[in-house]
Amino acid sequence: MSVRRRLEVPGLIGVPILAFLVLLAVLGPALLLDNDGRSPVAEPWAPARPGLWLGADDVGKDLFAQLVVGSRASLFVGIAVAVLVTMVAALVGGVAAVGPRWSSAVLLRLADVVLALPTLPLMILAAAFLGPGVGTRVLLLTALTWPGAARVVRAGVLSAWSAPHVEVATAMGAPLRHLLLRHASYAVAPLLIPIFVRAAMGAVTADASLSFLGLGDPTSPSWGTILYWAATNGAFLSDAWARWALPPGLAITLTVIALGLIGVAVEERVNPLPRGVR
Amino acid sequence: MVGRLAARLGEYGIVLAAAVILNFALPRALPGSPLRTVAGGESAGALPTETQARLLRSYGLDQSLWRQFLDYVRDLANLDLGNSFVDGSPVAEAIGRALPWTLLLVGSSLVLTVLIGVATGALAGYRRRVGKGNGLLSGALLLDSIPSFWLGMLLIALFGVTLGLLPTFGVGAGFADPGDLAGHLVLPVLTLTLTGFGQFFLVTRSSMLAVLSADHIEHARARGIGSARRIFRHALRPALLPAHTVLMIEIGYLVGGALVVETVFAYPGLGRVTFDAIRAKDFPVMQGTFLVLTLTVVVLNAVADATYALIDPRVRRPAVAT
Repeated sequence: MSVRRRLEVPGLIGVPILAFLVLLAVLGPALLLDNDGRSPVAEPWAPARPGLWLGADDVGKDLFAQLVVGSRASLFVGIAVAVLVTMVAALVGGVAAVGPRWSSAVLLRLADVVLALPTLPLMILAAAFLGPGVGTRVLLLTALTWPGAARVVRAGVLSAWSAPHVEVATAMGAPLRHLLLRHASYAVAPLLIPIFVRAAMGAVTADASLSFLGLGDPTSPSWGTILYWAATNGAFLSDAWARWALPPGLAITLTVIALGLIGVAVEERVNPLPRGVR
Repeated sequence: MVGRLAARLGEYGIVLAAAVILNFALPRALPGSPLRTVAGGESAGALPTETQARLLRSYGLDQSLWRQFLDYVRDLANLDLGNSFVDGSPVAEAIGRALPWTLLLVGSSLVLTVLIGVATGALAGYRRRVGKGNGLLSGALLLDSIPSFWLGMLLIALFGVTLGLLPTFGVGAGFADPGDLAGHLVLPVLTLTLTGFGQFFLVTRSSMLAVLSADHIEHARARGIGSARRIFRHALRPALLPAHTVLMIEIGYLVGGALVVETVFAYPGLGRVTFDAIRAKDFPVMQGTFLVLTLTVVVLNAVADATYALIDPRVRRPAVAT
């Protein structure tokens, strides 16, 4: 019983949290709000009261509405980047493992260079030049975070390639397409789930950091931009910190923890190492 | 050893070259006139045509791209990073003033992060081995999930505002008053260390677990070697190798984290410079900061790389497969 339970406990905690946050992002604005947090609805620095659950910011915009609406931008960036990184990693990692030798050398060297550049300063520079759009942000985060994931996929494909039954299939003259789809994919696909989760965790945090530095989209609230305005107005030095600076940070932390727990649960399942060694 | 060193130097050179090329290409890759980002001012497009042409010429932007690149590299070689859009002062000077502060913050956080991460990781690995709980693991995973700048805000609210124990702003009198400076460093360093040690913890923990069940540990036990010597010398040393790999990645993260955390604490380093530059759309300052930070990360990586030989004697000997 213990093996089964240990596999599932982190997932049992992580999945409901993430599901709640996604539901909040999808349905929250329609069900809970009567404004979208983009225009003033109360007096500046209004304290919390029924209907205005977290009070208002320095210009009277509804902070609870910003939190709920902001979950859309923050979660969307996380999920979109995770989807793209997983796809790029599968493609690049696969080519680097079984493609022609020159392509493998070029891709691996490129991955090394991107890995060695300081990610956040480069993100800041590129975001400043390319502007605050959500699409730009997603492409930028993808472009700077695929290398680690691609290396994992490459290692997975290489180890699948040396499995005895794949060697037999190769010796019997199976075409590359058949080897990839019929054999390697079963070994590699489980690796993609942790890659997806890690990419989402990294993207949510990086997006929040960029927005916190003032590189977010000023027209649409996200958890990072709420914190940017909270910091700019010194909200964490005043009584307002508990209703202004605390909730968006908690939301980011909850998202990352939920993803991390799901990642742990999945990794325990797909990691071929014996339990004691991890 | 020499071959390894040469290969490493080549890799560092490629990374720096990539940073220079990115810095050169980003402002010129955008649609519209490069005047907007190279010469400053969103309104450059509204200027009369002949003024625009004169500006282009004065910044050398009418030359071929290749020519411009050579000029750019020549300026860099002379430590000329261009002038700020805001006050026209040389970017290199502003960065030169801020860099020591960032190095102080990153350096002290890095040392603490490694020490705490490795110590707690080794402890957790050992305890897991002897069958005790996973409290440290949960704590490390939790801290790993918190955005550093937000933790910094919470620490300010707790230690600075509520308890009034520690300064939360700037560096006081700086190096003139080391005691006061140390007080100002506590919260930023604590923030970076708390959010950064998780990776070292996780890696050391799992490699410690693996090493503790290796044959040579069992053998050392059989030979009657005491548990302290067995753990520190026979188990911890090989367990450090995977942690050293994390060091390289962590240096990059830490430099980025320092940028964000500095802005929370109004710390006068490169993060503050970047933050102000973002607000003023001061592109030369951002470019200069990026280059200097890339150089910093490369140098720190080189130093970290050199320490690898201290814990892995195999790379010190030639003609042994590593």
